[in-house]
Amino acid sequence: MLRTLSVRPERYLCSTRRITLELTNYIILAIGALLLVSVYASLLSARVGMPLLLVFLGLGMLMGEQGPGGVKYDDVQSAHLIGSLALAVILFDGGMRTEVTTFRVGLRPAMLLSTLGVLLSSLVTGWAAMWVFDLHWMEGMLIGAIVGSTDAAAVFSLLRNQGIELKQRVGATLEIESGSNDPMAIFLTIVLVEALATGQSVLDWHWLLEFVKQMGLGGLAGVGGGWLLVKMVNRIRLTPGLYPLLVLAAALALFGAVASIDGSGFLAVYLAGLVVGNRPLQAGHNILRFHDGMAWLAQIGLFLVLGLLVQPSELLDHAGQALFVAAILMFVARPLAVALCLKPFHLPWREQVFIAWVGLRGAVPIVLALFPLLAGLEHAREFFNTAFFVVLVSLTVQGWSVAPLARKLGLNVPQEAVGLHRVGLDIPGQPDFELAVYEVKEGTSIAGRRVAEVALPPGCRLAGLVHDGEPQDLRLAERYRAGDFVYVLAFRQALPQLERMFIPTSAQAETAKRQFFGEFVLKGDARLEDMALVYGISVPPEYSGKSLAQLFGEHFHGRQVPGDRLPLGSIELVIKEMQGEQVVSVGVKLPH
Amino acid sequence: MHIADLLTAERVACGDPSASKKRVLEQLSALIAGGQPALTPTDVFDSLLARERLGSTGLGHGVAIPHGRVKHGTVTVGAFIKLQQPIDFDAIDGEPVDLLFGLLVPEQSTQEHLQLLAQLAEMFSDAAFVAGLRAAGSAAELHALLSQWKPGP
Repeated sequence: MLRTLSVRPERYLCSTRRITLELTNYIILAIGALLLVSVYASLLSARVGMPLLLVFLGLGMLMGEQGPGGVKYDDVQSAHLIGSLALAVILFDGGMRTEVTTFRVGLRPAMLLSTLGVLLSSLVTGWAAMWVFDLHWMEGMLIGAIVGSTDAAAVFSLLRNQGIELKQRVGATLEIESGSNDPMAIFLTIVLVEALATGQSVLDWHWLLEFVKQMGLGGLAGVGGGWLLVKMVNRIRLTPGLYPLLVLAAALALFGAVASIDGSGFLAVYLAGLVVGNRPLQAGHNILRFHDGMAWLAQIGLFLVLGLLVQPSELLDHAGQALFVAAILMFVARPLAVALCLKPFHLPWREQVFIAWVGLRGAVPIVLALFPLLAGLEHAREFFNTAFFVVLVSLTVQGWSVAPLARKLGLNVPQEAVGLHRVGLDIPGQPDFELAVYEVKEGTSIAGRRVAEVALPPGCRLAGLVHDGEPQDLRLAERYRAGDFVYVLAFRQALPQLERMFIPTSAQAETAKRQFFGEFVLKGDARLEDMALVYGISVPPEYSGKSLAQLFGEHFHGRQVPGDRLPLGSIELVIKEMQGEQVVSVGVKLPH
Repeated sequence: MHIADLLTAERVACGDPSASKKRVLEQLSALIAGGQPALTPTDVFDSLLARERLGSTGLGHGVAIPHGRVKHGTVTVGAFIKLQQPIDFDAIDGEPVDLLFGLLVPEQSTQEHLQLLAQLAEMFSDAAFVAGLRAAGSAAELHALLSQWKPGP
């Protein structure tokens, strides 16, 4: 492309410099155009239900040496830098978005899945790779470890596009697992690469010490660093635009620092994100939104680079074997690991099936596959291509089937909030409050009602009412009318309850909700016997004196979530609403 | 059993001015007890109130279906009241209630009674039907509407 640049004679002398300048412009143009295409591609992905990562990867491959783009890129070192940087940003953002309140239902199963589960699935997949590629067992294990981590973000974006809200227990387990299993997979990979490069055995106790050191340092530095970062952000007075940058800089510094003293930098940034995202934070909205964008940039950049790096024709060389490895991973290794790890937690079988199938592989395996290349291992190129292939298969096969499977297994809970307009503002020195603005829409429960009669949820205060573009005097305001804008000063925790008042209801959505949650509603503290008396149901003696909330708590081992159901005689009880771990209301589904 | 079999013209009341949830439940109980000779209005009221204590029977959109089961009852009885002024009923959507259908089933209640209750809930989720009830001018008109309703396909 550059050779076609016209070099006029009079500029001949400075042509080299001129070409370098032009090159810069071309590169900027190419990056801008590529990002534009990627952003627009997200629309396409939402429409056809294709995993977005697959789109970016495909774009990278098209731009690459063997595609029409023709860009030659084979610098593993820079790819590794971009990969690690991007993963740090993605993990930090993922941590910030994980709500600690979901730990009650998801933490323990996820912890087991992300440690023992990764090890088990790596062993099984590794064995298959060893056998089919005729490798040393440690090399086989390396392939298993490389493809050991899952990516839940891809799953959630797919489900969101299809309008599916996953049951909290399944969602939380997958989410926490995917955030915390990367450090494990990374650790295993590093150990195996090091052992193979130096000719040591992995069956040595000093690796165990190494594990403790990596995770211990990463864990401590992550929690401590996150805590310090929160203090820092809340104490300092900056130009608003600098807060997100401060957080990003600190996260990257933390990653680098921990990694250079042989701790798990990835674990550290994830945990730091978790702490930062779950503490009251000055300019919190700003920070979250900025990092959302950064995480997208990281994802797009990472996948484009990985797509550039791969030689699609090489992928086909071992397609048969790689397909076998992918199949073993999806149909044997993951289900086996999930079944064993979830055994102590008594999850309903439908949820176990879903978790077992939704072990989507994302960017991490491809980044990990760069490690053997960097270390110059013998079969490194083969490992890379296999990992790449496994990710492609997983994204395609599992990605496309996630939404239909969730529906089929009945794991979607009718949504409460969809596409609501909300603007949050940060008030200096008052990190707990938000000013939310809602438009009153036709068909909401608030439209047409008297201002004085509407009780806003606790922790909320009406701060303003705008009718026809004119701010109203609240003491004189009569009714909420459709088209009005309502300003509410609210505690963050009260927002979900508040938002419900502004969601227009449709007959269709109401029917769906009635079919899911049942016709009538009972309080969580209602006694089972009293309920049984009304509906003529016999109650087993061991439940006498218990409340509905207790019944659900016992039955789901303290990990009950909205949407959980219990058949009782010919009726069915369904958890409708929870506050923290307390069941607040229970739907009664009658026989038809 | 159909919804039409639950009601008589006497047990449909229109426009009673009621001040409170308790007051309207009492009125409903009196109507129901009228069709159930073995019971006093107090028995019925206690039963309906016991159910309300477990959680409001206000379904939303101004409709409530108070229901209960009593020891000495022998037949299934329904009653309907339409209020001129909606009252606060702790309904799930917080909206005040103006349409109330009370249902009382005997102790030996069966699957059929539960299905009847489900049918009532379905009937009152029909927005056009509910609008018709609100537009109705007399108890007779209300009774006709309630008796003619057929479940959708």
